[in-house]
Amino acid sequence: MSDTTNVIELKNVIELKNVTKDYGDFKLDNVSFAVPEGSVCGFIGQNGAGKTTTINLILDVIKKDAGEISLFGKIVDKDSAPLREDIGVVFDEMGFHEFMTAKDINIMMKNIYKNWDSDEFFAYLKKFSLPAKKKCGTFSRGMRMKLQIAVALSHHAKLLVMDEPTSGLDPIVRNEMIGIFREFVLEEDHTILLSSHITGDLEKIADEVVFIDGGRIVLAGNKDEILEKHGILKCKKDDVEKVSKSLVVSMETSSFGAEVMVNDRQAAAKLYPEMVLEPAQLEQIMIYYVNAGKKL
Amino acid sequence: MGDHMKGLIIKDIMCLKKQLMIFTFVIIGVLVVSVMYVLSARFGNIASVGQEMLNMKENHLTEIDVKNLGSMALIMFMLLPIVTVCDMVNVFAADGKAGFFRIAGSFPVSLKKRVLARYMTIYALFGIGMAVDIVIAFVLSLITDMIKFTDFLGIIISAASLMSIYSACSILFCLLLGYGKEMYAQLLSIVSIIIGVLLANFGSVRKAIEKMMEADGEGDISGLWKILDFIKHKSYIMLIAAVIVSVASYVLSYMVAERKRGVI
Repeated sequence: MSDTTNVIELKNVIELKNVTKDYGDFKLDNVSFAVPEGSVCGFIGQNGAGKTTTINLILDVIKKDAGEISLFGKIVDKDSAPLREDIGVVFDEMGFHEFMTAKDINIMMKNIYKNWDSDEFFAYLKKFSLPAKKKCGTFSRGMRMKLQIAVALSHHAKLLVMDEPTSGLDPIVRNEMIGIFREFVLEEDHTILLSSHITGDLEKIADEVVFIDGGRIVLAGNKDEILEKHGILKCKKDDVEKVSKSLVVSMETSSFGAEVMVNDRQAAAKLYPEMVLEPAQLEQIMIYYVNAGKKL
Repeated sequence: MGDHMKGLIIKDIMCLKKQLMIFTFVIIGVLVVSVMYVLSARFGNIASVGQEMLNMKENHLTEIDVKNLGSMALIMFMLLPIVTVCDMVNVFAADGKAGFFRIAGSFPVSLKKRVLARYMTIYALFGIGMAVDIVIAFVLSLITDMIKFTDFLGIIISAASLMSIYSACSILFCLLLGYGKEMYAQLLSIVSIIIGVLLANFGSVRKAIEKMMEADGEGDISGLWKILDFIKHKSYIMLIAAVIVSVASYVLSYMVAERKRGVI
């Protein structure tokens, strides 16, 4: 009997290495991260952190100043347009002309994507209760987002890149959309990069998390591991100094005491058994890291 | 034509839907008015006015002058379909308003092809405009001897070439200036064409001005007939100029678009 173990090597669908883009007043600084195939990667950060710029760079909508971007294992350069056949994109704003109907969009798209599937597009329209003959300028925000998703899913894309698709939507529609994303990643070679500042949505669906702040990647890795590692230590103000600085991300103090975000929950639990240690949520992790950045 | 580009051209034509509806009315209007004009010039009031002009000896007008004056109106009619068929500035304005450039950037279409699609739209629509004009010209040439069919063809080629030059310039300026500044792009295109024409004909323009000064207000329209003759018989020069400007504009537009990613 062979004792060799089958190791499944995960391919990275998206890979950024030291990517830089300098706008003068804002700089995306040495951004590096990878999104493995078959995963849902939540790209989090506050408004203006650099999420949209990063997505624009990945899609080659804007030109990078330095670094390397790979999609499906191939380096993105001026000849990599065909790679985008396999990418479905959803932006925070619809982008289609307001006079266009879904039917018009179908005519345009079937002449743009080789794998465009009109039947699937109209099936999605039906599923999302979107009218085919109504001008999309009259659509609500939720309908516009669903239209973009229908477009993104109708050319058999393997990667969905979405920039704040759930922002400004009510919880019902958001939940519905998360259901659609879940359905998409059921196929094992399907991957999602989902940028959002609504961390609750990502907590529900993401496998990986990349956290960007001020144009720099602050945290990247498996979501469960990140949640597992971080914790909030609740203590008296006077006890704060007892906490090892290497564990502290940042802290918040109030008249009732102090809350310290620690980056190693297990270590903190061993070192300070007298203090209350609670698991942290993604939103809290994001806030504490942003505050840490401000204090620097 | 690449499949991907076809989609973008279709989108551009969708943006020009309103303009193309106007184009339909213009075609019908031009056909009706020009036929009426030609008939009137042959049998009606315009023919009588022409005769009167010839009879007034103080005008110093020859039969050719009167014929040329009459044909000027016809030239205007022929220009209208081509002028109204396409203005890429409207496409830029619509794309800017919708934020289409981000979506376009995510399409599997290279930047080179995205820029080229704009030019293909222009030439596809000018092709339609020219075809319509040729039909109108053929109809008119059957009922008038004011302008021969071959001269009509010259006029159509000149008009299409001029509009191509204008459109090629406006694409470049739209890309250079960015979205929301389409009006300035239009203005700059017109100014550039005027400057270009003046520089290319510097000698003859100076002579014409000198002649006008010498004529002391009496007016000499022979210069005008030279232009008319050029439009009718030397349209190939305009066509060559249009090809050169279009190619130069495409190369420059691509360079600008590459430098300013996200503008097309």
